[in-house]
Amino acid sequence: MKIRAVLLVVGVGLLLTVRPVVAHHAFAAEFDAEKPVKLTGSVTKLDWTNPHAWIYIDVKDDGGKVANWGFELASPNGLMRSGWTRFSLKPGDVVTIEGSRAKNGSTNANAQVITMNSTGQKLFSGANPQAPQ
Amino acid sequence: MKRPCTALVLAAIVAACPAVTSAQWELRPRPGVPKGADGKPNLTAPAPRTADGKADLSGIWMRTTRIEKPGSTPAGQPPLATMGNIGAGFKDELPYQPWAAELVKKRTGGYDNPDALCLPQGPGQFHNDPQPREIVQLPQKTLIVHESNYMLRTIYTDGRRLPKLGEPQPYWHGYSVGRWEGDTLVVETNNFRGVQGGNPGDGWLDSRGSPFTDALQMTERFRRVNFGNLHIDVTINDPKAYSRPFTVRMEQVIVADGSEMIEFVCHENQMFLKMTGREALK
Repeated sequence: MKIRAVLLVVGVGLLLTVRPVVAHHAFAAEFDAEKPVKLTGSVTKLDWTNPHAWIYIDVKDDGGKVANWGFELASPNGLMRSGWTRFSLKPGDVVTIEGSRAKNGSTNANAQVITMNSTGQKLFSGANPQAPQ
Repeated sequence: MKRPCTALVLAAIVAACPAVTSAQWELRPRPGVPKGADGKPNLTAPAPRTADGKADLSGIWMRTTRIEKPGSTPAGQPPLATMGNIGAGFKDELPYQPWAAELVKKRTGGYDNPDALCLPQGPGQFHNDPQPREIVQLPQKTLIVHESNYMLRTIYTDGRRLPKLGEPQPYWHGYSVGRWEGDTLVVETNNFRGVQGGNPGDGWLDSRGSPFTDALQMTERFRRVNFGNLHIDVTINDPKAYSRPFTVRMEQVIVADGSEMIEFVCHENQMFLKMTGREALK
């Protein structure tokens, strides 16, 4: 219930307007486009790995309890071609991530938009909720 | 309707981040790229030729960004396929045999998509993956290196015949032999691992799971229409899975900015099996 409290549900229509940089995996097998999430937290780790990069953030709920969330991004190759590197985010950066939650109910999701809270900069567009494309 | 809108959103995001989009690796433009009056690559210049006078297909290619509405293909050319659906350009559904139509329904969701499993992609996937592919045209063979999943196809152009079915062993990419018809490289491929292969990822033409069998004979016609554009017309002839052959187009655009292929080791951090409940999550 507390986790639910930190999930800010945004309009599905908004998420569906986000274009993928690279869609490698079968989105529908892993994530639920009907369960959008928008979470703010502090970066703990960026796995710059194939076939998808993953970013992990600590998210605090209303009671102060912290949960570590993992978000799947595009492939490092696709992100590099969009101008990003493995140094674009570092532990401690505070970000807000919009995406679609994992179907398995874990604290994982697919990231579609990441916003750096300090600058408002958008980065790391992720995979497509409508994949396969 | 959605694509132009999403493209605008992406453009807005990119435009908002100019400081970051410059964080690219060093570009190494290749010699021989024709330039326009503005100094930029001239993609409509004539296609280059090899020393022996053949059209040269070599280069790094990205799939087209062109979108085609189903049934809107101009007369005289095959409809455009997508990675998700090799029949996306047809007004009607593909001519699936009944069992094949049933299998597509079961595959919906992509649970066993070979691409997601880091296995070799099917023909409708590897020509349409958003990651690039490099064609290396040699006198006796042409190699296609697909960045995604590190796939390699060898197309023999030394005059050999296509082998009989069953020899050699079935290949994920089939066995390919090419010949030139004018400026078009015609590639015939058979001896595929079809749905009989035993792996749930076997026999996927596209990401929706349109199946193919070991009876598939695929014909690809590669034609570099100019410096910047390559058309690949693909005919799927698999009477076990489809009631008639069909032909689709897959378009490629040259990468002319000097950027290169990037290493892609798919199993490095394969989370798909974990996320779909087939391996333990952390």
